Amino acid sequence: MGLTRRRFLQWAGATGIGAVVFNGCRVPDHEIQVQSPVQIPEDLVTGRDNYYATVIQGPSSSEGLLVRVMEGRAKKVEGNPDYPMNTGKHGLRAEALLQAAYHPDRIKTPLRRVAKGGPYRPIGWPEAIGELTRVLNEADPSRVVLATAPIRGVLADVTHRFADSYGARLIGFDPLDQTVLRAAMKRVFGQDALPDFDIARTGYLLSFGSDFLGTWLDPTHFARGYGEFRQGDGERGYLVQVDSRFSPTAAAADQWVYVTPGSEGLLAMAMIHTIVSDGLGDGAAASALTGGRGASALSAFTPSAVAERVFGETGGGAERIRKMARDFASKEHGQALAIGGGSAGAYANGLFNLTAIYALNHLVGAVDPPNGGGLVFNPPSDEPRITAAPLREWKQLIGDMRAGNVDVLLVRDANIDYGLPGSLGTREALGKVGTIVSFSSFLDETTVLADLILPGSTPLEEWGTDIPDPGPGYRTVAFQQPVINPFHGTLSFGDVLLQTGRELGFGDQLPWATMRDAVRDTARALHETGGGSVTQPTFPEFWKRALERGGWWDMNATAGAASAPPRLPTATVLPKLAGDENQYPFFLVPYEAHGIGAGGFAHLPWVQSAPDPITTVAWATWVDVNPTTARELNLHQDDIVIVGAPNGRFLEAAVYVNPATPPHVVSIPFGGGHEHFTGVAAKRGANVLDILEDSEDTETGALAWAGTRVRLTKTRNRVKLPKLEGNELAVQLPGEEVIEVQHVSR
Amino acid sequence: MATKTKSSAQRDTPKWEMVIDLDRCTGCQACVIACQAENNIPINEESAFHEHRAIQWIRIERYWEGEFPDVKARFLPLLCQQCDNAPCEPVCPVYATYHNEEGLNVQVYNRCVGTRYCGNNCPYHARLFNYWEPVWPEDLRNQLNPDVTVRTRGVMEKCTFCIQRIRRATRGGEAVEDGALQPACVQSCPTSALVFGNANDPDAKVTRLKNDERHFRVMEHLGTDPSVTYLKQVDVDG
Repeated sequence: MGLTRRRFLQWAGATGIGAVVFNGCRVPDHEIQVQSPVQIPEDLVTGRDNYYATVIQGPSSSEGLLVRVMEGRAKKVEGNPDYPMNTGKHGLRAEALLQAAYHPDRIKTPLRRVAKGGPYRPIGWPEAIGELTRVLNEADPSRVVLATAPIRGVLADVTHRFADSYGARLIGFDPLDQTVLRAAMKRVFGQDALPDFDIARTGYLLSFGSDFLGTWLDPTHFARGYGEFRQGDGERGYLVQVDSRFSPTAAAADQWVYVTPGSEGLLAMAMIHTIVSDGLGDGAAASALTGGRGASALSAFTPSAVAERVFGETGGGAERIRKMARDFASKEHGQALAIGGGSAGAYANGLFNLTAIYALNHLVGAVDPPNGGGLVFNPPSDEPRITAAPLREWKQLIGDMRAGNVDVLLVRDANIDYGLPGSLGTREALGKVGTIVSFSSFLDETTVLADLILPGSTPLEEWGTDIPDPGPGYRTVAFQQPVINPFHGTLSFGDVLLQTGRELGFGDQLPWATMRDAVRDTARALHETGGGSVTQPTFPEFWKRALERGGWWDMNATAGAASAPPRLPTATVLPKLAGDENQYPFFLVPYEAHGIGAGGFAHLPWVQSAPDPITTVAWATWVDVNPTTARELNLHQDDIVIVGAPNGRFLEAAVYVNPATPPHVVSIPFGGGHEHFTGVAAKRGANVLDILEDSEDTETGALAWAGTRVRLTKTRNRVKLPKLEGNELAVQLPGEEVIEVQHVSR
Repeated sequence: MATKTKSSAQRDTPKWEMVIDLDRCTGCQACVIACQAENNIPINEESAFHEHRAIQWIRIERYWEGEFPDVKARFLPLLCQQCDNAPCEPVCPVYATYHNEEGLNVQVYNRCVGTRYCGNNCPYHARLFNYWEPVWPEDLRNQLNPDVTVRTRGVMEKCTFCIQRIRRATRGGEAVEDGALQPACVQSCPTSALVFGNANDPDAKVTRLKNDERHFRVMEHLGTDPSVTYLKQVDVDG
């Protein structure tokens, strides 16, 4: 059959139409592929992920992290299993750091005010560094102050060198600083570094005011030990929490002992009296503590003399103190350990309290015991660190500002306008400072007053090191590396100092081009020791391996022995609470909020939305009031009350009727009440720091943040507290318990 | 009555279970936020708490006992119990929830039509409904986990035991070493109160702990046969 033109056209037409027709009738490929919907999420993923080790340092915490990074974006924070402080675990604040990097309200570029008090104008980094250099060149260095949040590691070294070379005054700021605790460690044990507590191997843990499972120092680290303390390989440990507030640690304790605020040291002294007079503890330590006089040197602290003041309305009497002392000194349980901090050190007698509490350890062999379970001292670090200055120094500085003696204030994450007691008039004083330069990543209350903003990077974008304080008991250096590139046009504080230092002409004191170079120099010095957790023949190999592991630590580099026990005071030091008892009938026991801390984490949505463990409240500030007290004052859940302090300052917040709050105590979490600091934090809750008296620990000058009395005044307003709990308190119904409990006898 | 014995094939298939030791738990919320981050759970704004519609695949319930000075607060981390006899499964009209061979109570998002029958039937309130389209500020979307679907408005969701991690660890068919596979909550828990593993492995930690003398299951009398076992908190008397 020949192929005619006509037949060709017929075939071609049929084929073309067929192709169209049959293609149109066919089910598309993607519709006939059998795909389990459950499989879809991971099947959709393209790209490659990597995990990078880094570290995040808080004022007293250090968490080694592995961050999952995909396509240049950080996706998930996980604990670094290698890092000695948190060994694979992490807390909610570390998790929420991702939101700091990708926060919509970050400062994205350097800003300069057009005129004093005028709007900001975005500028480039060369102009920003140039402007900072000009300001510092024109200023008298003795009238320049560099204020920063506490820093450890390489950045502390760089900051010190910068301030020293230029001649500026360097000062650290943390609203709830550890000045008193540091002084107690020096006095009782002769140690400069904060100690570790071997909670995992402790048999009997007596904690005074320190919410070590909630917010005190490094809770993730302590929680690692607590899990083993409870249900590890050894016998279950026994925890007694002495506190004037029902904290998460009190909730976890076998026994919560309420004491009148500020009387923690008195209780510890009475326990020492009992141990010494009964001859229960270490005889040599008892002799040293009492100057060889025995119990007679402690006659002011007999249990019968102090019991009423210690226990107040709850009673209990002297016999309860004696029993606590005998239990603590008993040899039947494992190693005993006494720790203290938090509110116990936040009165005018804070150092007296902590001295007495930690002295208990000398009597029961808890000072670096050979079998563990006690205090573990950390070796002193050669590298400088910047710790928070006590309130006394800040008062002096605020006075200098007010007097017009500060021309330039450089401020890095030291939100003093928010974090110092309102009665100091910090904002007014800042108004007298010639030029304020901020290095914050966010517009917090102090940064909005700045004339020039050089926005810093977030921790996941920076180079640095951390030398944890408290550490794990041996020399530890963690490496912080940028796991992602800066998401915006920001530059790390350290790099700004290095660049500005060169511009100012003291580059020889800052011999690094970048922070990465400074970190490499630290690593090089560690490599040259030839020991520790990372040993490699060449430095490049060491550098790579150390970054992979997240740090370097040497378990053989431990601390020296503790000093001899100190001579204990023979007379009581009173907490000196501000305010008349009749006019201001309530003890105000504020506390660091579980998530947002003292306000420094209030800009992170995950942290704000994490319910408080005790009340389940999120996103708000509340006032804990005892149920009986509430009835007497005709207060109900969600009623707004005015909390007034003797200095005339007050705040308003909703009532949470808390069955665990003592009748004469009201508690309010720190951290709320920001005016600025991103849309997440602003105009939310109340700032209890604002109403505190500016009273100090009499010896160290630290803020006595628990030393204020208040009164409550009911208003006609109500606001529903946002909380996970329902409208009624969730209680265990007798006989219908949701949570089952195993009762055992001691 | 015939005795049930597991075939070797059944034994080879993992049975994922969790044990939560209440004597270790401090209610610290680390697990809650780790879960939020891993599973692309929308940010619970203040309004979500007011309306009691906060989405938390694992939440910490706090129960009071007594009043000052004799008071206790007890914590209960509560998540989907992955019940073997799940009340949520038979009521779904579109089979969006079913039980898989590994003991997981699985939720198929793109089958769900949002009747919320399953949520009504869950005695643990572990199932959560998306009343609104989840919204993140644009920059924060960079954090979203690419392994996990963002659920839309009108869809029920709940804890999956981090099925994306299970899939990744078991892809290829190799046996997973005990403890190597952890859901985000277990991985973060600072006190190691949460333990996860294959209950068909007689040597697994989860198998040992679920038979501890302190074991109990929440509302066991309902006969839901949960895959989450709790260990009782210990109270020392005297």
